Amino acid sequence: MRTVQRLRPRATQAVVFAGLWAAAAVVVLPVVGILALMFIRGGRALSWELLSSAEEGLLPAIVGTMCLVALTALIAAPLGIAAAVYLSEYARSGPLVRLIRLAIVNLAGVPSVVYGLFGLGLFVMLLAFGRCLLAGACTLALLVLPLVITASEEALRQVPGRLREASFGLGATRWQTVRRVVLPNALPGMMTGLILSVGRAAGETAPILFTAAFISLTKPFPSSALDPIEALPFKLYYMATEAHGVSEEVKWATAAALVMLVLAMNLAAVVIRARLRGARRW
Amino acid sequence: MGSPDVGAELILRPEGEIKLETSGVNLFYDGFQALREVSVAVPARRITALIGPSGCGKSSFLRCLNRMNDLIDGARVVGDVLLDGNSIYDRATDVAELRKRVGMVFQAPNPFPMSIYDNVAYGPRLHGTRGREKLDEIVESSLRGAALWDEVKDGLRKSALDLSGGQQQRLSIARVLAVEPEVLLMDEPCSALDPTATFRIEELMLELMERYTIVIVTHNMYQASRVSQYTGFFLLGELIEYGVTTQIFENPKDRRTDDYVRGRFG
Ligand SMILES: Nc1ncnc2c1ncn2[C@@H]1O[C@H](COP(=O)(O)OP(=O)(O)O)[C@@H](O)[C@H]1O
Ligand SMILES: [Mg+2]
Repeated sequence: MRTVQRLRPRATQAVVFAGLWAAAAVVVLPVVGILALMFIRGGRALSWELLSSAEEGLLPAIVGTMCLVALTALIAAPLGIAAAVYLSEYARSGPLVRLIRLAIVNLAGVPSVVYGLFGLGLFVMLLAFGRCLLAGACTLALLVLPLVITASEEALRQVPGRLREASFGLGATRWQTVRRVVLPNALPGMMTGLILSVGRAAGETAPILFTAAFISLTKPFPSSALDPIEALPFKLYYMATEAHGVSEEVKWATAAALVMLVLAMNLAAVVIRARLRGARRW
Repeated sequence: MGSPDVGAELILRPEGEIKLETSGVNLFYDGFQALREVSVAVPARRITALIGPSGCGKSSFLRCLNRMNDLIDGARVVGDVLLDGNSIYDRATDVAELRKRVGMVFQAPNPFPMSIYDNVAYGPRLHGTRGREKLDEIVESSLRGAALWDEVKDGLRKSALDLSGGQQQRLSIARVLAVEPEVLLMDEPCSALDPTATFRIEELMLELMERYTIVIVTHNMYQASRVSQYTGFFLLGELIEYGVTTQIFENPKDRRTDDYVRGRFG
């Protein structure tokens, strides 16, 4: 008895395709929507003057965020890459490695405000950095560390095992193999992962709220890593909650500037990846 | 071998200098036993072929001979392997030094994503050779030794990945020769190659035999009979029979060897 008429393969195909297309559209729509909204509402205020002026404009916040991002990358990269190399090239699977992996997964799930409070306790107070660029970058580095480790491990996994075998077979030690074969081939992937990770950190407010960010009235630019800094997400948060007399347009323009900065970083990561993928065939 | 083991007469002990010798080698991958009590003597400056059906442990055995199995999580070797009479599983053994002496050519060509020159110079550089002239010399003689020099001498700076499969495999051989090994282990070196490239590699092996002890795993029985002087037949992790190649192929003593070389299984 066949009461239910089954769809013919071609019809099924069409339905599945439509469903997948719709799912993709749902992902794209909010991105386009948010961007459109920001540019429509803030577009007129988004002038070169706004971006480049130190007194009235966003320059201190842009510079501050860039400093934060750079220092975060500088701290997170060696730690994250070293950890990934240990985990995937040196450690034998066992309880210790499982524990470390569990810790990494859980670390990635900790809310960012908790990192902020932890950074306040450890870097600002205990280590007495004070509220400054360095403390903020250290906090953000902790936040992105799980991402950097995971991305670096993925990049290491992409290096074919037969290259390692070839190296060991020629009498290389593990370190020689890592340094001469594995790392050079994994580095592009690691860089992509690093940029994407710190790109995420660039937009975070909570971790820098207690550790690094301020609104400057007198000293817009830091002169050392031990100075507090302005930062785009914090500025936005401040404008939206406490500041008086800031026009709606400027708030939207600030949001647009932040999103553009993050998008630019993501784009850079994608371009690097595409370039290097083109250059490599194994 | 003094024991009155029935199997003992199936395992010949070659005359002359013995380069490598295993005694009672067992290999375990976690719980699984891949090799059982393999005892064999490999003569110096000869080609020894290892044959047997897929999965019988030929590659695993080869990897015991330069401790490549150390790299596999959960692999454990019981028994001993002697190189020039000295145990390579001794605690004092420098594994990197061992692998320099016992070089390996793998089944699939595996050039590093670098230039041809850097591929060949990789080993010497690892082991401390510096200086342009010295390296140039090693690169040239190794490529000549692997019968690749004439084809690549005008493009040493080109990527090794642009070579054909057969050229890449000869590059792998050149790369091993560059570290001046004493033993060459070759794991089905021709399985990814066309007949012409295979022929070149076989010719090359016969040339190399003058200076190196070669152990080759092969799926191809014609290849074994063409190039080797001694042949061992593996089945299910055991060395069933080992002897002079012509004897193994024309007059095997064990029934199972007979079945295999006549193509009745595997
Ligand atoms: N890394 C490994 N881990 C677990 N089992 C393995 C591993 N390598 C090989 N084996 C098993 O050991 C046996 C022998 O394999 P192998 O030495 O590759 O055989 P051959 O080279 O003769 O085809 C096979 O049953 C295979 O599945
Ligand atoms: Mg094999």
